[in-house]
Parts: sequence; structure tokens; C-alpha cells
Amino acid sequence: MLELLWLVPALPLASFAVLALFGRRMPDRAVAALGAGSIGASAAVSMLVAAAFLSNPPGGNAYTQVLWTWMSASGFEPQIVLRLDPLSLVMMLVVTFVSFLIHVYSTEFMAGDDGYSRFFAYMNLFVASMVTLVLAGDLLLLLLGWEGVGLCSYLLIGFWYRDPANGAAGQKAFIVTRVGDTAFLVALFILFTNLRTLDIQEVMRRALAEWPVGSGLAVASAALLLGGAVGKSAQLPLQTWLPDAMAGPTPTSALIHAATMVAAGVYLIARTHRLFILAPPVMTAVAVIGAATLLLAGFSALTQHDIKRVLAYSTISQIGYMFLALGVGAWASAIFHFMTHAFFKALLFMAAGVVINALHHEHNMFRMGGLRRRLPIAFWTFTIGGASLAGLPLITAGFYSKDRIIWDAWVSEGGGAGLWLAAILGVFLTSLYIFRAVFLVFFGEARTEIEKRPGAAIIVPLAVLSVLSIAGAWVPGFFSFLTPALPPFIEYHTGALTETISAVTAAGAFLFGLYLAYFFFHRRRDYAAAIAAAPLGRALHNWWFAGWGFDWLYGRVFVRPVEGMARVNRKDVFDPIYNGMAALAALCWKLLSGTQTGLLRRYAAGIAAGVIVLVAIALFL
Amino acid sequence: MSGSDFLALSPLIALALTPLAVMVSIMIRRSHWAAAAAAIAGLVVSLVLLGAAANAAPRQVTPLIVVDAYSLFYTGLIAAATLAVVLLSYGYLELQTINREELYILLTAAAFGSAVLASSSHYASFFLGLEILSVPLYGLIAFLAARKRPVEAGLKYLVLAGASSSFLLFGMALIYFDLGAMSFGEIAARLGGASFALVVPGSVLILAGIGFKLAVVPFHLWTPDVYEGAPAPVTAFVATVSKGGMLALLLRYFYSSESRGLSPVMIVIAIIAIASMVTGNFLALLQDNVKRILAYSSIAHLGYMLVAFLAGGSEGAAAATFYVTAYFVTTLGAFGCVTVLSTRERDADRLEDYRGLFWRRPALAAVFSAMLLSLAGLPLTAGFIGKFYVVAAGAAASIWALIIILVVTSAIGLFYYLRVLFVMYERREPEAPEFAVLPAAGGGALAVLAVLLIWLGINPGPLVEMIRAAVAALI
Repeated sequence: MLELLWLVPALPLASFAVLALFGRRMPDRAVAALGAGSIGASAAVSMLVAAAFLSNPPGGNAYTQVLWTWMSASGFEPQIVLRLDPLSLVMMLVVTFVSFLIHVYSTEFMAGDDGYSRFFAYMNLFVASMVTLVLAGDLLLLLLGWEGVGLCSYLLIGFWYRDPANGAAGQKAFIVTRVGDTAFLVALFILFTNLRTLDIQEVMRRALAEWPVGSGLAVASAALLLGGAVGKSAQLPLQTWLPDAMAGPTPTSALIHAATMVAAGVYLIARTHRLFILAPPVMTAVAVIGAATLLLAGFSALTQHDIKRVLAYSTISQIGYMFLALGVGAWASAIFHFMTHAFFKALLFMAAGVVINALHHEHNMFRMGGLRRRLPIAFWTFTIGGASLAGLPLITAGFYSKDRIIWDAWVSEGGGAGLWLAAILGVFLTSLYIFRAVFLVFFGEARTEIEKRPGAAIIVPLAVLSVLSIAGAWVPGFFSFLTPALPPFIEYHTGALTETISAVTAAGAFLFGLYLAYFFFHRRRDYAAAIAAAPLGRALHNWWFAGWGFDWLYGRVFVRPVEGMARVNRKDVFDPIYNGMAALAALCWKLLSGTQTGLLRRYAAGIAAGVIVLVAIALFL
Repeated sequence: MSGSDFLALSPLIALALTPLAVMVSIMIRRSHWAAAAAAIAGLVVSLVLLGAAANAAPRQVTPLIVVDAYSLFYTGLIAAATLAVVLLSYGYLELQTINREELYILLTAAAFGSAVLASSSHYASFFLGLEILSVPLYGLIAFLAARKRPVEAGLKYLVLAGASSSFLLFGMALIYFDLGAMSFGEIAARLGGASFALVVPGSVLILAGIGFKLAVVPFHLWTPDVYEGAPAPVTAFVATVSKGGMLALLLRYFYSSESRGLSPVMIVIAIIAIASMVTGNFLALLQDNVKRILAYSSIAHLGYMLVAFLAGGSEGAAAATFYVTAYFVTTLGAFGCVTVLSTRERDADRLEDYRGLFWRRPALAAVFSAMLLSLAGLPLTAGFIGKFYVVAAGAAASIWALIIILVVTSAIGLFYYLRVLFVMYERREPEAPEFAVLPAAGGGALAVLAVLLIWLGINPGPLVEMIRAAVAALI
């Protein structure tokens, strides 16, 4: 069964190829069957492979499938190799399964769109790239998946390209993540030049053997890898692309946020965790970045009007939790939260998509309302997803996964009160902003007419994800299963807190957030408006609404100076060099073309002269 | 000659009999279809017999011919490339009203000559192979005699090939005068350390003969005129099969004659390589004729191959051989696209013919794009892997000057490949004239070549292993 592993990325890739080549001539039904079916088949194969892996674990708790060697020259032997270990197995299952549900949902959601086959082609390539990234046993193959994910996000965010704003959002996502990708690439160069291999396990083994803890090379490569992860996972300071990425169709957002792109950074750090262990300062940086991001994004989410932007900031914030867990060495907790997050975030986006489609593509929550009775499916699923996101105590998956991270932030060697408090504050914020959305959208009075109601292809995935958002944390032996791939978490000090007190505090924060949301956005909306209208309130509101002004800051620090320099340097001082080279090349062309006279006697003379000159050189040199 | 000698020679014998088979088919009844089928059958038989011959190899059959893994690899390459040319020619000639069957006689006869070159180990077989290859080429190039340009091109090729053959013969004579030997092995043995006055000039003269066939600077002047004038499938043949056999011979000849002892000759080859890379790429820059662009680009590519040759050792020979294979696939594909776009009246060789091709014939434009990207050496294509191995071999041999020139001129080359690509994807008004339907044989050949191109770019391993085993016979 394990030998089928290669099919998991190959099936979506093949389907992409077929859709890209013949999609335009295929009827929509065939496109949907192939587009969603290939991901379904891929998910089914993943489950078969997983079953085989679990029932009869291979030696070393990892199965390696070498497909072929790309090339081989002087020590550079990148292999096309897939590696299945507990970490990649969990990722593969979550990615293929959640993607499958999103694809099923898309078959109905995107119905009637001009680019129906184009959409499924991109989505399939997206999943194929992500699975390649997850299963890659070699950093070069991982890079291929990594770049594929980046490319597909660009294509899908700018999917409705006729509106230039969507194209601009796609470019922003591509360019901002490119900053991180460059860091990642430099990290690969460092690793290869120093360790002479790109095989992930071998890199880790040699790094551990050759580099002492805290050595310059280890810190540099871990920091650069972190740079790549920060870009893809939309963490500080490269988080600005994700809110704009809402320009894409809603299923795309679900795919980017839940199953694929933003998880890539988390996965990269977990995959290369040994390098990070060798670089304690970088570990601290990961934790601090995570904590800071989860707070900043939480505040920003509080002020958004657009329902999808709320969810976008919430993704940034939740990935912040995962980074926090990674930073304190709680690797498995990060992956655990990734899994539950994939369930409830996909659910939230898809439920939001139902609302948006029902209301003539209305995104503004302040123009929604009272949908509780008229769109009960959307209401229940969105509320379940929101409850899981905010961590409704005891019954939701999100509570368990987040609670673990909060506790880890307290007891780990690098953790402490600061990180713990940030995590608790994050719970409060999450609860406040997501229930604000729930109250604004589903309660109050109705403001818009319902246009469309969801069909079976939308309801079934929502139902499945609802169940998983509640029960998804109930995976017996999850942490012990991951132990061979990720070192177990060590509780370093407990101090004044116990796990129960921590959990109770988190529950309290959740309830407080829920109550405030209820009070300000259901009972007394005028209070919320009054606070937002007061001078201080308005300043904060505007600041947070604009994502803490990062776009403004980057505009001032990077974009404007570059534009300014371009304006000053309109007649580029470097241009003459390149124009000169081009002119020189054209001149060479002209001179050499002069030899092509078409005259036979000249050609014969040329050969004779050439022979004479060459003989002379050979004899007298 | 013993039975296993015949077995070893069987692919060559099959190739030699193929033109006769085509002739017989024409004698019985003039049918384009039957003639092409006879040629294809002969080539397939020859390819199949390679396996049998491999069992008998390595074997010196008479002093003239050596059959080893290396010569068999090149024979296979030549036969397969000829097969592709035959398939491309079929659809091309269907449009013509002249007698077309004779083309297959000439094609297969020339392929036989090229295969003899790849297997020769003696000046006599060297020269015979060269002439068996050249004489049919005159006819092939001028095949469409009703047009003016093919005849002119054929005549130019005839005169210049004759001139360069005379240089070659003179060089052989000088070496024979000094050493008294004509077999490669014997020459190498007698060279052994001692210095002979006429060996170096003789070798350079031989290089002139080789360089003419390979179309490297300064023996390249005929290339654009002949490429432009010849019918498109014949151009594909001239660019691949006629060069492949000669390159095989070049590697074998200089490896067996202890090339390291001939450092002045190596310097000459280095100069030729540099001049070819620079001149070829510059000449193509602002050219508006696609066939001429490909002609100049082939000059540059042969220069790259010489870099691999100069790297020396088994790595260099393997890199050169891989490069030849990748170049065969790519060049056949590129000229194949030109072929299937050509009309009854003229070949599709103007850049204008390609404007907006993507919007009219997306599949064909995609194939042509893949070929151009491979020529430019972009990753995921065979051309990239080929260039990668050449650079790796050169770096291992520390010939940095050549490597740097290779990299710089490749970058210049990117310009004219992208220029063609750019033109193909340009939006153009819909009233563009539609070309004929893709002929089945040519279209099939193109599809196979495109798949092969990508496949070699992604998974070159098996071919590299095969080539490493084949060039082991040289060292």
C-alpha cells in the first residue's frame, strides 16, 4: 500500500494537466467531476497509505520512496524523493481531506463562472504543489512545491483578473512572499555549501554533528528559514499580503487559509526543527513573532467591516499561535493546532461564502443582519466554526488545541508569563471579534434580500467540517504518534500556575470576550459606535483597521522611496551601461552579418583563410 | 568475417540496405506511402538489431569499423533521428506535386554515411563515411528543384563541402606521410611522446574538414544559406544527423590519438569553440528569418559541445554525448514545427509567420516554445540538463575561461529565443490565415519529441547511465 504514495501528488497534477489542456472544451460537469474527483482520489489514497503506515509502521517510523535522481554531478544529487513520517502523514491527510471538501464545495460555489475549468486547474495544481511540499524528502523538491504554492496563490487571488484591484492583490501576495522566498533560497545555499547535501534528514543529521548549539551558521540558516516561513505564513513583518488576498474567490481563501499556503511556513519550521534547536535566539524570535502577530492581528480583526477580512486577520492570529508553539519547542502542539485550525477555518470561510453568495456578493457585515432564521445552515456552521476558533471550553476542538499551546507557553524553557499573557489576551480578542461577526451577521434586523440558497454540494462539506470542528481534537495517541518525527515537549517549570488554572483562565477570557461581543454588538450597538466615534477610540479604530498601518509604513519606507528614486533617476544613470551593451551587441551583429554575403567565393575564401590562420596559430603559438 | 562480425555489423547493414529497399519499392510502383514505409521499416529494423549487435560488441570488424557501445549509441541516435525526419518529411512532401519518393533514398543513404562515421576507426572509413553522407546531402538540399533557393543552397554546399574534403584529405596525407599509419589506434601508438613536424598541421587540416560538417567558426559561413534554402525537414537532417556522426568521430579520434599530446591542436579547438559561441549567438540576435536564427543558434550549440569535448575525460565525453542527444531532440522539434507550418509554396521561415501563433495553434506554439526554451537552456527541459553537465564537466576540468564565455554567450542567446517566443504570444487580429491541418505523421513525431524533451529534463538519470556506459568504451 505504501508504494501508492506517489499517487497522492500525481493525481491532482495529472488532473491539472488535463484541465489545463482540454478544460475549455469539457462540459462543466466533467470539469467538476475531474477537478474534485482527483482530489478525492488523492485523499482516498492518502488514507490507504496512512492505514498501511499505522497498521504496520515501517522501520525507523518513516517510509522513503525514491522516484528518481534528477541529476548527478560533482556531489550535487537532488533526488525526487517522497518521505512519509508521522509529521508528513498528518499534514498529508489534513491537506488532502480538507482540500477535497473545499473542492466539492467549489463545484457548486463556482457554478456558472466563465473560468470554471481554469479555476479547478489552478486549485488542483495548488493541492499538488502543497502535497509535494509536505512529502518532499529533499529540500530542492520542497522548494519546487513551495514555489508552486506561491504561483498558484498568485493565480487564484487574481482569478477575477478583469478587475485590476484583484490583479494588484495577487501581485502583492506574490511580491511580499517573494521576500521570504529569497531568504529561504539563501538558507538552502548556506546548507548546501556547508553540509554538501539537500536531503532533509541528512541535512539535519550533519548539522547536528558538525554545528555546535548557537554557532553562527546554524543561527544564520535557521533565521533565513524563519524568513521564508514568515513570508508564506503571513507573520510579522510580512503579514500584509494576506488581508488583501481576500480578492480571490471564497473557496480559494478557504484553501489558502486552511489547508495549504499559510501552513507551509509552520510545516517548514517543524520539518527543520533540529536546525532551530541549534539556534536558541531564533527560537526565541519565533515565539516572540508568534505572540506579537497573534495580538496585532487580533486587534485588527476587531475593527474590520468585511467579513472575509475578519477571517483573514483571524488566520494571521491563529498562525501566530502555531508560531508561538514552535518557538517554545512545542512542535506537536503546533501541528495539532494546525489540524484543528484547518477544520474550523475552512468551515468559517465556506460558511461566509454561503452568506456572501446569498447577499449579492455583499462583504460588509454592517449591511448584513438577521440571517439566523433565513440562512440557518450558514448560521449554525459559522457559529460552530467561530466557537471552535475562539475555543468554546470543553466541547470544541479549537479549545483543546489552543489550550495546549497556552499551557506550553507557560511551562516551556523559553516560555513564561509574557508569552502566556499574550496567548490569554489572544483568546479574549478572538472570542470578541468572531462573536462580533456572528452578532452582526446573524442577529439584529434583516437588511438585504436573500438571493441564493446553498445546495447539497455546499451543505455536506459544511456538515462534515462542523463535526470535525467539534470532535477533531479527539485523536487518540496524536502526540505519541508524532514523537518519532518531532521531539516530545519538555515541561520545564510550572511556577505558580497549574494546567487547570491556565485552562480556566482561558475559558474565562473566552467568556468575557463573548459577553462583550454580546453587549456591544447585540444589546447596545450604540455603545460600540460611541466608543469608535470618541477621539481616542477613532484613532485606535483607524489604526487597527488599517492593520496597524503596516501598509502605510511599507509604502513610506519601501515603495515611496523607490518610486521617488525612480522619478529622480528617470534617465537611469545605469541605463547607458546596459544600453551600451545592447548597442555593442547590435554592432557586433551588424559587423558579423557583413560576413554573410551569400557569395560563394567569399565563403570559400573564408574557409581557406581560417585554415591558414589556425595552422599558423597551431605552429607558432 | 565471422558470424559475430556480421551480427555486430547488422545495424549498419540494415541501414545500408534501407535505401535499396526504398529503390525497389519505387521500381515496383511509385507510391509515396510505400516508399516512406520502406524507409521506416529499414530504420526500425536497424534500431531493433542494435540489441543483437550489443551482444557481439565490443568488436573490431576489419581494420575499418569498430562496433562498441559508443558507436552503437550514436548509430541508434542517428537512426532514430532519421526516423523522425522521415515522419516529418512525409506530411511536408504530400503538399508537393513533384516526384517525392527519392527523398527517402537520399535520407537513408546519408544516415548510413553518418553511422559509418560514428563507427569508423580508420582514415579510409572516415573518408568513405563522410562522402557517403555528403553526396546524398547535395541532392537533399536541392530536392525542391523548382524553387530557386534550394538549388543555390545545394550548389553552395557542393562546392564548399568539396573544398573542405580536400583539406581533410590533405591533412590525412600529411599525417600518413609522417607516421605511416591510417588506423586511429595505430596513429595513437606511433605518436607516443615523439614529436613529428607534420602531425600538428595535418591535424588542423583534418579539423577543417570536421569543422565544416559541424558548422563551427570559421567554417560556418555556408550554414545560414543552406539552412534557409533547404526544405525544412532536410534542414532538420543537416542540423542533426550529419553533425552527430561527425561529432562522434571527433570524440573517438582525439580520445584515441592521445589528445593530451597535441596541445596546439587543443588550443585551436578552444579558439574554434570560443569563436563559435560568440559568433553564433551574435549573428542570431536581430535576424528575422527563423531558419537562419536556428542556423546561427546551432553554430553556438556546437561551440558548447566543443567545450564539453575540451573538458576531456569520461565526464567530458559523457557531457558532450548527452548534449548531442538533447540537441537532437530539440533541433528536430524546432525544425519539425517549421516543417508542419510550411505550405506548398514556401517554408514558414519568416518571423512574421509566427506572429500570434499561440492564438491560432496553441498546441503547436506550446511545443515550439518548449523547444526554444530548451535551446535557451531553461530548467525542466533537456537543454538545461545538457548545459548543466557541460558546465559541470568544464568546472571539474577547470577550463574557466571557456565556461565563462559559455555562460555569457548563453545569456546573449536568450534574447533571440525570447524574441521568437514573444512574437508567438503576441495578440493579433483574428483574420490571420489558417494553416493546413497538422499531418498525422509529423504531428505524432512532434508530440513524441516534446514528451521526450520534458522527460529528459525531469528524469535524465537512465539516459545518463546509458551514456556513461557507452563512453567507457572510448577511454
